[in-house]
Amino acid sequence: MTPAMKPKLTRERMYDLILNPVVTEKATRITEHNQVTFRVPLDASKPEIRAAVEGLFNVKVTAVNTVRMKGKAKMFRGRPGQRSDWKKAMVTLADGQKIDITTGV
Amino acid sequence: MHQVTVTASEGLKREFKVVVGRADIDKKADDKLEELNRKVRMPGFRPGKVPLNLLRKQYGRAVLGEVLEETVNEVAQKAMQEHSIRPALQPKIDIQNFEDGKDLEYTMSLEVLPEVEPGDFSGVAVERLVVDVTDDKITEGLDRIAKGQRAFKPIETPRPAEKGDVVVVDFTGRLDGEVFEGGEGKDLQIEIGAGSLLPDFEAALVGMSAGDTKKFPVAFPADYRAEKLAGKTAEFEATVKEIRVADAVAIDDELAKKLGLQTLDELKDALKKQYEQEYGQLSRNRTKRALLDELAKRYDFPVPAGLVDLEFGQIWDQVVRDAGSEAAAAASENKSVDEVKAEYRKIAERRVRLGLLLSEVGQRQKIEVTPDEVTRAVLDEARRFPGQERQVLEYYQKNPEAQQRLRAPLYEEKVVDFVLELAKVSERKVSLDELMKDPEETAA
Repeated sequence: MTPAMKPKLTRERMYDLILNPVVTEKATRITEHNQVTFRVPLDASKPEIRAAVEGLFNVKVTAVNTVRMKGKAKMFRGRPGQRSDWKKAMVTLADGQKIDITTGV
Repeated sequence: MHQVTVTASEGLKREFKVVVGRADIDKKADDKLEELNRKVRMPGFRPGKVPLNLLRKQYGRAVLGEVLEETVNEVAQKAMQEHSIRPALQPKIDIQNFEDGKDLEYTMSLEVLPEVEPGDFSGVAVERLVVDVTDDKITEGLDRIAKGQRAFKPIETPRPAEKGDVVVVDFTGRLDGEVFEGGEGKDLQIEIGAGSLLPDFEAALVGMSAGDTKKFPVAFPADYRAEKLAGKTAEFEATVKEIRVADAVAIDDELAKKLGLQTLDELKDALKKQYEQEYGQLSRNRTKRALLDELAKRYDFPVPAGLVDLEFGQIWDQVVRDAGSEAAAAASENKSVDEVKAEYRKIAERRVRLGLLLSEVGQRQKIEVTPDEVTRAVLDEARRFPGQERQVLEYYQKNPEAQQRLRAPLYEEKVVDFVLELAKVSERKVSLDELMKDPEETAA
């Protein structure tokens, strides 16, 4: 990635970008590949996420994959409802680096 | 692996130093977590699929505490077995070192039950006091029964009422011209001289004949129940309708029949039995006390201080509660607090010693309290609360602990019986007064 593409982020924006870690069976499984999973805002871009993770956790990120999780359609009191969509980011860390997601920032 | 070393052993006290390997504990904790995994529900995971490190983070401390307790108990039990110790109380655990990654180190101190050798009881001599039921006593009892059974009948020749008569009265009482509540009565039967009514009222009735009407003042005492009347004087008007006299009941077969028995002799027998039972109970208590005194004198083995402390605590609590404060408890006996405490401590020690001795005897002789006996005790207990028998029975059915409480005295009785059989028991005839006399205060 060229330096030009690297966005400059303020500290506040970093905290806004990383909402919370995703702790599920699947997320636990991919930690074996040195990947950590976060919930991020829908409008977060991969370069932003990379910058935020590197800035907050002080690690080197090699790749960011994101996926838009569609909110489930739920019935509430007989009326159809829609849970909000959200974005999940799987961040691959450089070899030998890690984040303890359970301790928080 | 764990290591147990004896660090102190004097008298009844034992102290151990225990070291348990950290790996042991961690492994146990992990096993526990694994087990927990199957039950615990965590969002994002199916049951049983939660990673161990996550579980450890959340439940680690609790599980560790559990494991710690288990280990300590296990080690204690093993140590008891190896050293063939019978502990008097729960061992006291004092943890010295338990940090992450380090071995668990603690000391375990406890007191053992002393070896009690009951030995031979044939040398124990106690006296059993026997009281004969005298004829006087029976006559007295008969008189009492007769009095309870007497009937009243109207007098044949008219005469004024006397003390001891029963009069049937109508009356109205007025306070400041108004009839007050409860101030009216019809066909009331009053025994003059029985003291069931105000003295003024009863006094006024004396000398009245059947059909007489009289007005008289009655002064209510200042502490009368009805506040409105207390201390006041009311005007009463009473009419005597009838005078009855108590009919002396002859002590004969007739009386016995009324009580459901056939003849007077049977009634006498029944009374005799009743008194004999009463005396028997008293005499038994005396004998038991004498026996315990004797045993306390003969046996002097060391007793665990922990047990004595416990017993003393109970006695002392009771004493302090009764007296109000520690100082009051001491003051009532004119001694300092320390002196009184020392006294009660002696009593506690005696109780513990006797308790240990009796339970040892019971164990050796395989004396047991049968369920039947417990049931009987429960029924007896229920009978003490008339009207609530059902609740009492239910209470005992639902609370095995309460049953246990009943069982203890039964057990003691049986053991005492056993010892009494072996002991030399001499009988001595005494008078009733002597039996009733409270022997100098000894707590048994």
